[in-house]
Formats: sequence, C-alpha cells, structure tokens
Amino acid sequence: MKRPVDLSMNEMPFLPPAAVPRAAREGLLKLNRYTRRKDLENLKERISRYAGIPEAHIIPGPGSDFLLREIIHGFSGGRKVVMVSPSFMPTVEKARQFSTKFVGLRLSPPQFSLNSDMLLDELTEPALVIIDNPNNPTGKLLLDRQTVEAVLHRKNTFLVVDEAYYEFSGVTFADLVPSFPNLAVTRTLDKAFSLAGARVGYLVAGELYLDAFASFYALLPQSSLFAAMAALQSIGYMKENVRWIAAERERLYDKIAQLGAVVYSSRANFLLVDTKQPDIATKLHERGVLVSDISGQFTSGAIRVSVGRREENDAFIDAYREIVEIG
Amino acid sequence: MKQTIGLIVNPVAGMGGSVGLKGTDGEYYKKAMELGARPVTPARTKDLLSHIRKKESIELLAAPGAMGASHLHDASLPFTVVGTVSGETSAGDTRRIAGEMLAQGINLLVFVGGDGTARDIYDAVGMKVPVVAVPSGVKIFSAVFAFSARAAAEMVDEFLGGARVAEQEVLDIDEAAFRNNRLASQLYGYLLVPNVRKYLQGGKECSNVNKLAVKSKKEVAADILEQMDPAVLYLLGPGTTVKAVADAAGTSKTLLGVDALADGRLVGVDLNEKAILALFQKYEKRRIIVTPIGGNGFIFGRGSKPFTPEVIRGVGRDNIMIVGTRDKIVKLEALRVDTGDFELDQVLAGYMAVTVGYKETLKMEVRG
Repeated sequence: MKRPVDLSMNEMPFLPPAAVPRAAREGLLKLNRYTRRKDLENLKERISRYAGIPEAHIIPGPGSDFLLREIIHGFSGGRKVVMVSPSFMPTVEKARQFSTKFVGLRLSPPQFSLNSDMLLDELTEPALVIIDNPNNPTGKLLLDRQTVEAVLHRKNTFLVVDEAYYEFSGVTFADLVPSFPNLAVTRTLDKAFSLAGARVGYLVAGELYLDAFASFYALLPQSSLFAAMAALQSIGYMKENVRWIAAERERLYDKIAQLGAVVYSSRANFLLVDTKQPDIATKLHERGVLVSDISGQFTSGAIRVSVGRREENDAFIDAYREIVEIG
Repeated sequence: MKQTIGLIVNPVAGMGGSVGLKGTDGEYYKKAMELGARPVTPARTKDLLSHIRKKESIELLAAPGAMGASHLHDASLPFTVVGTVSGETSAGDTRRIAGEMLAQGINLLVFVGGDGTARDIYDAVGMKVPVVAVPSGVKIFSAVFAFSARAAAEMVDEFLGGARVAEQEVLDIDEAAFRNNRLASQLYGYLLVPNVRKYLQGGKECSNVNKLAVKSKKEVAADILEQMDPAVLYLLGPGTTVKAVADAAGTSKTLLGVDALADGRLVGVDLNEKAILALFQKYEKRRIIVTPIGGNGFIFGRGSKPFTPEVIRGVGRDNIMIVGTRDKIVKLEALRVDTGDFELDQVLAGYMAVTVGYKETLKMEVRG
C-alpha cells in the first residue's frame, strides 16, 4: 500500500530551508550539554524582533500547547476557566481537569462567531479566558480589539489568546501585551515555520504572567533551539509558504464545495468540512488519506482537512469524490 | 452458546429518496413506485449479513419473503421463518412479526428500515429486547440507528461478544412537515441498543464514548443534585440524562413523562399540564430540568408536551436547567424551542447554559 497522505495535523507540508536542519545538526553536536542561557537569550531576541514586542515579555518553550498547559496549571486554581467550544482538544482537556469550574461557549454553524456579550456575561467572578484565534477546528477569527479590551478591563480576569495560526490569519493582539498585564498570547514556530518536529513555541506575556514564569527555564532541546534561531532568519521563506498555502486553501475549498459538502471559509491552514457521512474519516483512511475526525466535537461526518501539497490535496479530493459517487 | 436473533426488513424503506420523496409513509409508497423507485433494502441487508463475522453463534429467525427470508438465500446462514404476510407488507406486519419473535425468546432483534420502522419496532418490543437498527430510510433522525450496514454488522458481533446495552432515542418524524422542509420531530420512545461505536481515527477516545456517556450522566446528576434546594419544586422532563438526576436523588422516574420532585422525593408522576399547575399552588419556587432531543436540539415543543407555555411562564426562563451529555450536546447546531407561543419563544431565545459535567457547562444559542 502507498504511504498514506496525511492531512490530519495542520503541519506545513514543506521542509524548512536548508539552513535550518544545518543549524539543528549544530545543536546535536552539543548533546552532552544543557542549552545555554546565552543561546536562549539569542532566541528571545530574534523572536522579539520578529514579533515586534520587547524581549522582557517573550518566554520561549517546547511548543505553545506546553506553555498553555503551564498557564492552566498556574492560573486556573480558584478560577472559572472560559473557553470556546469546539477548541484545541488537548488544551480543553487540561482546562477541564484543573479548573474549579469550566464553561464552554459553543460556536454555532454556519458563522461560528463568538457573541461578545455571552463572553462578557461570564466574567462576573475570577476567570481565566483562553481563546484560540483563529479557532481550531473552525478556522474562524473570533475576537476583535473591542472585545479583547473589554475582557482585559474586567476585574480579576486573565486572558490568553492562542495565536498558533497567526501567520495565516495576519491578526494579532500581541501588541496589547505591554499595556495589559493580564494578557498573554501564545504562538508557535511549528506551523508556518515548518518546525512541527522541533516543537518551539513562545509566550508573549503580560506583567502578571511574568512572575509565574520567573523561574521557568526553557526546556528546549539544543537542536530545536538552534533550528528555531535559523528559521527566524528566513522569514521571507516562511511568508512565501504561507501565501502559497492560503491560495491552495481557496482552491481546495472550491473543489470540496463542488462535491456537495458543507465547507467553511478559514483563516488558517485547514478547512472544516461537514460531509454528512458518519464514517467518512474511516472511508478516507481506507483510501490512503488521513484527516482529522472531529465528529466527537461536531455532527457525525465532520472532518478537519489540513492544506497540504497540491498532489496531497488532489489525493484527498479523488478519494472523497469516489466515496460520494459510491454513495 | 448460540444466541437467537430476529431479522425484520422493511422492504419499502428508503425508496422515496431516489425519486425525491421524503419518506414512504402511507400513500407515498405508491407514489414512489409510480415514479420508478427501486428497493434499497436488499443491498443494505446483504451488506449487513456479509459483514457479520460470528455467524456460527447465531440462531436466526427471519420474517417471511421480502421482509427477511428472501435476502438470506445466498447468505450461508440457516434460518427459520417466523410469521406470514399476504400481499403488500405494512407497518402492522412489522409490529406483529416483531411481537411473535419476542414471544419466541429472541436475544436480539435486527431490523432494516427508517424512523417509521423504528417506531413500529418500539411499539412491538419496547425495551424488552435489544435491537440493532440498520439505516435504510430516506432520512434517519433516531439515535438508535447504526451509522451504516457494516457498522450494524459490527454491533451484532459486539453484542454476541457480550457488549452491554444502552437506551437510545426513537423519534417521531412528521413526514408531511418534512416534505415542507420543516423538521417536526418528537421523542417517541427508547430502544435498547448494544453500547458500541466504531471509529478509526481517534479510536482510543471514541471507543470509550459510551462508557464516558454513562459517567458523564452521573457527573451531570451530581452537579444538579448539589444545586438542589429542598424548598423548590423540580419538574423533570423526559430522557435518560434527566432520569440520571432522579437516580442520583434516590427516586424513580418515568423515561418519557414529566415527573415532579420536591425535598428529595417524588410528588408527581407522569404529570399533565393541569396536574403541574395544581402543584404550582403548593410550591412557590419552581424549576424545570430538561434535556434536548438528540439530533434537532428541541428543549420545548417536542417530546415534553406537559411543558406548555403556561407551565414554562410559571417557572420562568432563569429557572430552566438544561442537562445533557457532552457527546450528545456537541452534535447539536443550537438548542431550539417551539412552544406554540411566539412571544414565549422569543423570551427563551438567546443563550442558555447546558450542564454537561460536574461544574462544567456549555453555553448554547437557543433558536426560537
């Protein structure tokens, strides 16, 4: 059997530029050593320059989901955790496990928009609000500046905006961090920078979070740290890939819509598709295509399809067409 | 030891789909035939039978002719015919033969059909014997159905392997309304179904879905129980999650009716509007506990007739407690109300919290 086409993890289908694995190899040559503070400072400086935020607010870590978990550990005690539903499952699971009280704000099709009054109404007691923007798996932008500022002005409220797909959406609230001590933004190099295998994320953290992370020593492996530094030197390459994925996403959107499925417009590198076929992920898998089965969070037949290389996307379309035609 | 399994096929189920009709209830079957509709159940039945692996563990009883036996001749499965039919088959045949199979002591009843067939099976066997429902209708809304004929075959195998059973909803879909693009469904009853769902990706999580659902109901019940005030009258609507609340409170509960609870004991069973309003004379503080109907999300206006506009107004929007298991709630687009009172529907519209676990709620849009 041919190797399956994997469109299930929202990865960038292209390798990073050659300088990145070269740098990672350099890191591997120091395997007997822990990462050095000066190298970490160097990475922070490059992230700071890329994000346009002072270094004092940057905290790198092994993947943005790890950083989110640290925040949940540190800030959910005695607080209500408010998230949207659906959202990134590992974060939801962690929040449900640790929070005193968990509230999910359900996003309804077809708009999947977040009603800001519904959100603000929840903030009458100490709260930790975590919202992914764009949202995974809908691909929708949920927040605007007015809502974000209204949340941040609420007493005893912490807000974390997960911007894992920022490079695809172009929308960020990281610039508000220096003005709002209760805001944190999580980002990652896993997606747009083609570094999923290295797991490098960072937190743009407001003043109130910094204390909690004061003793936080970045757990980045040598190879990941060096790969990340090199990747941040090749921002043009990343941007070109992001532009290509965005254009390909629209082509894929049209193809899926032509086959009669309900597909939702997205600001990320994936599409939410409601096929109305309950065991669609299994049928696609039988035809060598892996997608993310999100029927557990939605109606049966809902899948999330990552935008891959053109031939991978075509393989998905061919397999899906075959399933539709068989009926 | 062999298990006795009954097989009933509704030969006309699903025929309307190919000719643009929504269902084959009553006269619409003849219309479908005139339009050149071809039976779809033979292929589904064949698919089912060819994918059951543990055939040697089955003692099969089949309905006669197109209702079962005629699909079995090349299935390499010995069988005994139960009942007789003359001429065109009808809903009455389904009910009668299902009853005969029940009398013969079947362990499981497998049927091929749609929502209408599920209602006939419910009328005949209720929750006396578990069923596996193979989807073959034009539109299938009831939660009792397997995803596909193959999934149904797996459910049969899992049942033979000792899988536990759980109640699933049978809905009463108004085909006349459905033809006019209105989904008017009501909760009709519950059938017992093997507690199995098969997925491939995310299999680890999903193989636990039903076990989690049972746990989730208990968590919901524990949360509600903690909030209960002895001075308040609680009106418990239909459904298994609401029943879990009564179980946790140590009282019994009718599955389809509205029961009343106060100070930890039942003060009314299977109440109608009049009986509820009479209780209002005695209790000043009142709350309603309801769960949405799976698939369409109705909390009022379907399946809980005693919750009339007057009863709902007498309780008040803020005193409505909605409960449900997470896996059921996330499959709904929104919650819906259709009380027959437009103004009340507008009052109820907006956002409401659904308790889906212990200290866990989902805020959902309510559409009027």
